[in-house]
This record gives sequence, C-alpha cells and structure tokens, in this order.
Amino acid sequence: MPDAIDTTHPRPAAPADPDREFTVEERSQAQLVLRRFLQHRAAMVSLVVLVLLVLLAYVVGPLWRYDVGQITPDNSAPPSLAHPFGTDAVGKDQFAQVLGGTRTSLQVSVMVALLATFVGTLWGSIAGYFGGWVDTIMMRIADLVLTLPLIAVAAMLAHNLGGTWYLIGLVIAGLYWAYVSRVARGVVLSLREKEFIEAARALGASNTRIIVRHLVPNALGSILVNLTILVALAILLETALSYLGFGVQVPDTSLGLLVNEAQTALTTRPWLFYFPGLFIIIIALTINFIGDGLRDAFDPQQTKVRQ
Amino acid sequence: MLLYAVRRIVISIPILLVSSFIVFWLGTLSGNPLTPLLLRNPPPPQSVLDAEAARLHLDEPLVPRYLAWLGGVFRGDFGPSVIATQDIGEELATRFWVTMRLIIVAMIVALVLAVLVGVYTAVKQYSKSDYAATFIGFLFLAMPSFWLAILLKQGGIDFNTIVGDQVIYTIGASSIPPPDGLLARVADVAGHMVLPTIALALISYAAWSRFTRASMLETLNSDYVRLARAKGLPRRTVMFRHALRTALIPLTTVTALDMATILGGAVITETVFQWRGLGDFLIESIRQFDTYAVTSWLLISATIVIVLNLVADLLYGVLDPRIRYA
Amino acid sequence: MRMKAAAAVAVAGASALLLSACGVGGGGGATASGNFADCAENINNCNSVPEDQLQQGGTITFAIEKNIPNWNVVSADGNVFETGMATQAYLPAAFDTQPDLTLALNTDLMVSADLVNPTTIVYKIKPEAVWSDGTPISADDFAYSWKMQSPTECPECATAGNGGWDVVQDVVGSDGGKTATMTLSHPFTDWQNYFSSGQPLYPAHIAAQHGDLNTPEGIAASFDWFGKNPPTYSGGPYVVENWQDNQALTLAPNPRWYGATKPKLDQLIMRVITDATQEPIALQNNEVQVIYPQPQVDIVQQIQQIPNVSQNQQLGIQWEHYDFNLRNPFLQDKALRQAMYTAVNREDIIAKTVGQFNPDVQPLNSLMFLPQMEGYTDNVTATGLGSGDVERAKQILTDAGYTGVGEKLVAPSGEAVPDMRIRYTVGNAIRQNESELFAGYMKQLGINVAVEPTDDLGTTLSAGDYDIMVFAWVQSPAPFANAQQTFLSSSGNNFGQYKNPRTDAMLNEAASSADKAAATATLNEADRIIMEDAYVLPLYQKPTLIAAQDTVANVRGNASLAGPTYNAGEWALRAGS
Repeated sequence: MPDAIDTTHPRPAAPADPDREFTVEERSQAQLVLRRFLQHRAAMVSLVVLVLLVLLAYVVGPLWRYDVGQITPDNSAPPSLAHPFGTDAVGKDQFAQVLGGTRTSLQVSVMVALLATFVGTLWGSIAGYFGGWVDTIMMRIADLVLTLPLIAVAAMLAHNLGGTWYLIGLVIAGLYWAYVSRVARGVVLSLREKEFIEAARALGASNTRIIVRHLVPNALGSILVNLTILVALAILLETALSYLGFGVQVPDTSLGLLVNEAQTALTTRPWLFYFPGLFIIIIALTINFIGDGLRDAFDPQQTKVRQ
Repeated sequence: MLLYAVRRIVISIPILLVSSFIVFWLGTLSGNPLTPLLLRNPPPPQSVLDAEAARLHLDEPLVPRYLAWLGGVFRGDFGPSVIATQDIGEELATRFWVTMRLIIVAMIVALVLAVLVGVYTAVKQYSKSDYAATFIGFLFLAMPSFWLAILLKQGGIDFNTIVGDQVIYTIGASSIPPPDGLLARVADVAGHMVLPTIALALISYAAWSRFTRASMLETLNSDYVRLARAKGLPRRTVMFRHALRTALIPLTTVTALDMATILGGAVITETVFQWRGLGDFLIESIRQFDTYAVTSWLLISATIVIVLNLVADLLYGVLDPRIRYA
Repeated sequence: MRMKAAAAVAVAGASALLLSACGVGGGGGATASGNFADCAENINNCNSVPEDQLQQGGTITFAIEKNIPNWNVVSADGNVFETGMATQAYLPAAFDTQPDLTLALNTDLMVSADLVNPTTIVYKIKPEAVWSDGTPISADDFAYSWKMQSPTECPECATAGNGGWDVVQDVVGSDGGKTATMTLSHPFTDWQNYFSSGQPLYPAHIAAQHGDLNTPEGIAASFDWFGKNPPTYSGGPYVVENWQDNQALTLAPNPRWYGATKPKLDQLIMRVITDATQEPIALQNNEVQVIYPQPQVDIVQQIQQIPNVSQNQQLGIQWEHYDFNLRNPFLQDKALRQAMYTAVNREDIIAKTVGQFNPDVQPLNSLMFLPQMEGYTDNVTATGLGSGDVERAKQILTDAGYTGVGEKLVAPSGEAVPDMRIRYTVGNAIRQNESELFAGYMKQLGINVAVEPTDDLGTTLSAGDYDIMVFAWVQSPAPFANAQQTFLSSSGNNFGQYKNPRTDAMLNEAASSADKAAATATLNEADRIIMEDAYVLPLYQKPTLIAAQDTVANVRGNASLAGPTYNAGEWALRAGS
C-alpha cells in the first residue's frame, strides 16, 4: 500500500525561497492532520487517559506520602484509604510501587521508541535511497535481526547485562530498530521516484540534503505511527522479560517486575496482581488507539471506503 | 525466481554466521557455567571442576572454540551441553515437534478467527460490531501474555469445577501416563492444548484481524472491485471471488514474517504451561549459561524463520501475478 | 533433643487468609492443616493410615522441580535434591533420614550397622535382601559403593565430595556376603552417613558389566554409566518403569521387593514442573496430588483455599545468613563487624519475610547445629548480635574510636567508611527484602549499603565480589564435616576468608573423633568463637512446605536432604477415595 502516502507529499518547492514555501505547505498539512486526529474519538479519549496516567505517575507519584521501595508497617494489606492499591508482603505501598513502576516502564519504552526510531529510520532511509548493493546488505542485516525471536535474544542479552532499566531499554531498542528500518525503507522507496525528489535532485541538492530535508519529513507520518506503537510493544516486551526473570531488577522497579512478582497472588492478594497489570493494559491500549488515530490522520485513504 | 531464491539464501548465510559468532561470544561472556557446581555443599573436588571446564572447552580461546563448534554443527554435533548427559541436537529435534504442534494449531486458530472477523468488520465498517471487534483486538494486543495465561488457567479450573469433570489441564502436553483408549487419549491431548493454544493464538489473532480488515477495505475500495460492482455482479460474488482473494494474499507474507514473533510467544506460553518445547529449552539453557545450547537454538530458529520467509515470498509470487522477481 | 519443627500450630480459620499487620506469633498463619494436623506432635508418623484402610492400587503424582539429567546421585552432576528424592524409591541405603532429621537404620535392608570400635563398622544385611534381578544385596555392593566415592580407589570418579570416604581403608565381606566390615584409618564422627540415603548402594554386579572393578578406570567407567543411564535395576520398593526426559519418572512396584510393607500403588509418578508457581494450580486441578514447593505467602494461602487439600510446614535444613567479606579492609575490624550485626534486627527480618506465612520461625542461634539436632546450643544471644539494638551498636563504634556514628561513619584511622554492597540472588524476593532491610539498619549507623543482585551467586562468592552476601547454607546430616567445609581457613567454601588457626584446630579435632559428646562440645566452643568474631550472622531456618490431596496417605514432610520420598514405599491412597 505504498501509494497511501500520496496525501502527505507536498508540491515541489519554488527554487527562490524553498524554506518558506515548505513551511507554509507543511503547516497547512499539519493542520489537516491535526484536525483529522482531533476528530478520531477513540484516539482523543485515549490521549486524555494517557496524559492523566502520565501526570499521575510523574506528578502525584513523587508527592505521594510513600516513596518507591519504602517499607511501611502494614504487611499484605488490602486496598484502603491509606494504601489505595494495598501493600505487599514487606509492607511496600503498592500505589507508590505501581506509579514508580509506571515511570520506569514509560522511561524504558520511550527510550526504546526514540532510539529504535532514530536508528531504524536512518538505516532504512539510507538503504532505500541508495538502493543497489548498499540496500541489499543493509536490509539483509535488518532481516537477520527480524528472523531472531526478539524475546529470545533479549532474554540472553538482558541476562548478560543485568537489570538496570536503561540497559534493558538498550537491548530492546537494539532489536526493534530493524522493524522501523523496514517501514522507513518502504516509504523512502515509494517517495524516491516522486516528482518533487527528482526536482530537488535536478536542482543539485546533495544526497544528505535530500534525505534529511525531503525524505524524512515526508516519511514522518508512518514513522510517528510506528513510534507510538513501539512504546506499547516495548512495555509488553519488558513485561515478558520480567516474567522470565531477565527484565528490570531491583533497586529499579517496573510494571513488568511488579506483575511478575504478583503472579501467584491472583486468588490470594488480587490487588497485587490486577493493579500493575491494569496499568500495563491501559498504557498499551491507549497508545495503540493513539497510533491508530495518527495513522488515520496521516493517511485517511486507508480506512475510508468511498461509497 | 529460482535465481532470486538462491541469491537470497547465499546472502543470508554469511550474515547468519557473523551473527552466530556474536551470539556465541555474548554467550561466553554471560556467566560461569560451573556455577551450579561451585554452589554445591559439600563442594566437589577441584579436579572435578577442572575436568568440567575442559569438557566445555572453557580453557580454550574464543575463536578456536567457535570454529570447533561451527565445524561440529555441520556434522550434526551441536557441542557439549552444561548438562553432561544432554545432547543438544537430540534435544532440539524432539522439542521441535512439541513446539510446532503448539504453533501450527495456534496459527490456524488465529488465522481462521482473524479472517472471519477481519472480513466481517471490513464489510460492516463503522458498525457497532466493528468497534467492538476493534476494541477487543486492541485489548488482546495490550495484554501481557503470561498475565492473560494466568487468568486463563484460573478460568480453566473454574470451568472444570462447573462441569464437574477434569476437562481442561494446566500442565504439560498430555497426561502421564496417557489414558487408555483412543478417544480418551484424543480428549486428553485436546484438554491439554486448549489453554496454551488460546494464549498463543489471541495475540496473533489481534494483529492479523486488524491487518485483514485494512487489506480488505483497501481492496473493496479499489477500482476493479468497484468496476465489478458497476457491471452488476452480485455483491456476494464480488466479495468472495474478487475482493477476498486479493485481500488475503498479503496475509501470507505477514503470517510468515510473524513466525519469529510466534516462536517468541511460545517461549512464554511453554513456560507457563510447562510444555517441554523449544522455548522452554531456551530459557533453561540461558539460565544455566549453556552457551552451546543457546547459540544452537538461535541458529536453528533463525534458519526456520528464513526458510519460511523465503517460502512466503515465493508463494506470494505464485499467488499474485503482478510480482516479478528481478 | 529439642524438636523445634514440631512446634506447629493447628489450622486457623478463614481469618487467616488476610495476614494481620503484626504477623509473628499472633496465630494468624497456619502451618499444619487437615491430614497433617498431627504432624505437630508426631512428626515421624503423622498422616499415617492403618494398612486395612488403604486402597490397593491407584496412582500418585508428585511434582519435582528439576529434571533428572544424571542418575548417579553420588556424582558431582547427580548430587541434586530432586535426583536424591527419586533414587530413594529404588536404591537401598543402610540409614534413612527421618522427618526429625535423625538417621534411622533401614530395617528392611539391614539387620544391624554398628561401630564396633572407633575405626571399624560392621554392616549385617538381611538374608532376603535382593536386587530386582534376584542377585543378593551383599558386601560387594558396599565395597563398590565405597570404591566409587573414594578419592584413592577411583581418582577419576567425579564425585559429589561427600565427606569421610578418604579415611576408609577397606571393606571386607564375610558370612556369605551378608556381612560387610569397613575399616577406617581415623575415626569419622559422622560415620552413620556412610551408605545413608544420600549416598546409597549401587549394584556391584551391574557395575561389573560396564567396567573392570579391579581397576580405577573400570570403576570410573561404571560410575559414568550409572550417571548416564536411567536405572534398570532396583533394590528398593519401586522399579523405574519409564523415564520421559524433562517430563516424568514413572515408578511401578518392585516384584522382588523384600521389605515388610509392599507398595500399594500401581504407579508412583514424579512429574517435572520447573516453575513452582504453577504447582498449586496443578494441585487444585488434581493433575498432581503431592507438591513440595518453597513456601511463600501466596502459595501457602492459595493452598488454604483449595478444598480437600492439606498442607504442613516444617523448619528445614537450609538456613539464611549474612556473610561479611573480610577482603574488605574496613570489614577486617572486628568492632565494625560486631556493630553492624548488632544493629541487625532478626525478629524484624523474620516478621517482614518468612514470618508472614509461618509464625513458628525463630532466629537461629548456632552456626553448627539446627535446633532439631543433638548439640544445638544458643551461641548468639549472649553476643547481642542480631538483636537490633542500635544504641549498643553505636556504643561499640564509639568505644572503638569511630566518629560520625549515625551520620557518616569515619574509621579510627580518619578514613571515611566507604559505601558497601550487599548482594543476593536475582529474583529471590525474600533475599531482596533481607538486603533492603540490612541497608536500612546500616543507615542508622551512618554506613551506606547499596543493594545489588547477582545472577551468578557461585562466581560472585568465589570471586569475593561483595561486601555482604545474603544466602543460605544447607546443613548436611554430617555437621562435623560440614563445619570444616564452611569455616576452615583453607576451605574453598569459606568464601569470606575468615582465618583463625585456633578454630581450625578445633574444627579438625571435632570432625575426627570417636567421642561424639566431646566432639559436640568442641564444635560448640568453635561456634562461640566464630560468632564472637561476627563473621557470619545466622538468621533463621527456612521453612519447607508439603501439600497433598486428602486422599493421599502416609505422605509427610521431611525437611532433610532426603525429602518427603524417604518413605515412598509406604505412599498410598485412602480406601474409598
């Protein structure tokens, strides 16, 4: 479905003042996208929920009367006013733990998304733009990463590196970039032959300039969509790693670690099992809806059936 | 097309080798395989530790060790395991079928569900059932798989309690010893498969039903389908003869590409449900710092996925006459 | 003898499901329930059912947590708890470990086993005792089982390193092979451990088929053969019917079993379930009937919720402890060590960890003996270590010339006491808590302790890559040999490098004594000195947990290395179930 990108490509810029021309064009484009996104009800609701959740984690969390890891005298207490999410066996306040875990999980996944997107986009764009043997070699390397079950390699690497949150993030990003590079390459391949690129080339623009100024901005839609989805994927992968015992380790805490520690608690101390799980689901769910909304906004053709 | 296939394989081999070396190297760094012995109380004599180190070639430099292992792989010898009595090749071979049984059934279940729901929601776009299906699909995508599996197990037990009979099992691939009689045996195997299959299938289902829906929408929207409709062909004929076939072609590629993900999902599923498949083997091997086993595992799984991808690519060419291989 | 493990409390009501904040001693938890209720008074015979109330036939499935990759339980690779539990069903032993941790003569096999003088042991075997192929169990089997573990007779045999075999000089048969006389070069205090259930008899006549037993090479070949091959032989109540690697061991009654009680079951199955958290669910779904997982809050409560299932906890042979690493120059100062351990509140640690599911756990007060064992003496309380008395700890530091007590501790030399690291095995939630609590106590003294998990405990310990380590020792049934391994200056297991010639001499004396009472006194004296030096701080005995369907009879917990299968031959189902 490469022709789906059509709507986002601007007209060739006038040679006299390319920057200005582009800005004007891009702004109107951006406005269009924004308007479409605002109309996507599920995405907007999700965005509000996610923002509230982030505020809860980053604003309420640090202000909460208990710190992450702080041991209180109440052991295994069910939810109450003092401990809205209950406590665990040593008496750690679950509300503080879950919010702390949310912060770490978000940090890990945002780091993964940014890093993987940056590397992947660059990798894919270069491969797609140059083509030929450069493309072949670069994409074979990416393919190879894709052929390895992510969780297997991640488990092995994480076992090596230990469980600090940014190392876990690094490991996950080191595997997800290949997905992004594939998407980026596809987009670039379709853009490469478009008139405005040819025009830029005819005007003597360098390869770097064409990639940075023309290809990447135009591929932005797909990349942004992928970036959001990566956040959700990374949270889930971190959770899976924690389950296998290769994820984030104390003194760090993460939603994955919490839900893993609580896997026996389903029928006995359900508050330990459900709250961190619910937070994971809410984050992943809202992000997926936001990604969906973005996709529709950037690329309305794909989902609208003309009657 | 044959040339294309050969070229892709030829390119894949050196990269596979390089990456196997990297994996091997990382594996040797990951920890001391003698740990379980070191922790014994009483401690085994030093001579035992030395002999074990020699057996695992821990005393040799990295590159010769790797080359020796690689040479062995071509002769079907995957190197010494940390567990002296364990043959890595044999282990991989027996476990391969356990995992395949799980994966293939789960994939079929997921595909059937995904196509049904995907087509239905595409046809009824923006209906209530479309929204509901989208939401449920997204919910599955957002759920940690082992979290879901734990809930499923509890559900299975509740089901058994309600039915008043042991229909669903939570551990292993079959009862030991298996029950007598063919019918009982089939029921036993099915009872063991229900939960892991659901756990593994739901995640792929969610992604694939979304994909089918999008692909179907695009086809329904294409000029030739609209032409067919304009020519007055019945809606049903257009839908199934023209639109569905075209829409499903890309799904073959997606399914093959997702193979690595499903194999990864099996790692979790097999641990929760205690299946002795490839995934379970990998986790055990990583925990025991079993470098040879981990490297062999990754080599085998990468090979499986590469072959399947290639098959999917070639199949794609057969199904879709527009594709030409350069 | 004190029977600490017997101090169990009977079932509490439904209110026990939610633990109260004050955990310990409140009767909030239940450690014995249902069929195991009598285990408190009758640890060795609880859940017993008279033979006429047992069902003939049936199957019991028991969950074991590890695969059995090596069948030679006296080899380094095969010396695994799960393997030991399996071998007890089919390998004969002169002594069995009872639930109260004492060794009892196996009267099915033995007429007697006596220390006739300090260096001579005479084993008299029952005439009817035979292997499953009809070959009599004889002195040859004793001789072979000695040779395969002897560092001189078989230097190539990769043994588990069970103590005492190096002093054995000879095993001679007489009385048609039904008497074996073993001669030692020195007395070995723990002599009952020879040929006990952890080091059982292997069949010499089978060994002879796989190597020439007159040569070390031949013995080594047979030694390896026993490791690689699932057993086709048996001298116990069961024979191995089927082994599915990584899945299950299926045992069937041994038709040539010579013992008094014939197995009632058609099959006893040991099913490999490597993830303990899945065990209660499998038990609830009746896929297994007996489980023996490490207890933790949820597992204990989960089992309480299952109808028709009983459970029991005992205090086991593993004991948690903090270890100092004396390679750290600051930790070489005895005053600092004493102050640090004094600030540790063991009662508090128990309340925050194991006390949550077992109200019977008490601080352990000996490095050498467990409360169940003969010789247990409280050598800790008098030192004040582990009391949590922070004021006293501060006083010790001040007296020793430390400054900045309670803020930023500075050594008498004027150097600031650097930050330290306490380490524990990754994923072990209880040790994580113990580490965090330790760091909390040290903060009160002005010492910063970072909590850092390790995924490779063995290497971390032997490399000395820690300042404080929290882990567990397994108290072997041979306390005297065990103490040498843990505390001798030269021992590889003395990870923190405690060096004291005085205690070295005492440990060696205690281990090679013919007078057990004197040896016990010596070992306790060594214990007192090592405790005073504040090197290792014992915390508590780890509880063990057994849970079984109520249909199961004669199954009971055994917290020793033998595990609950010590009486596997008696396991049965209640009639009418």
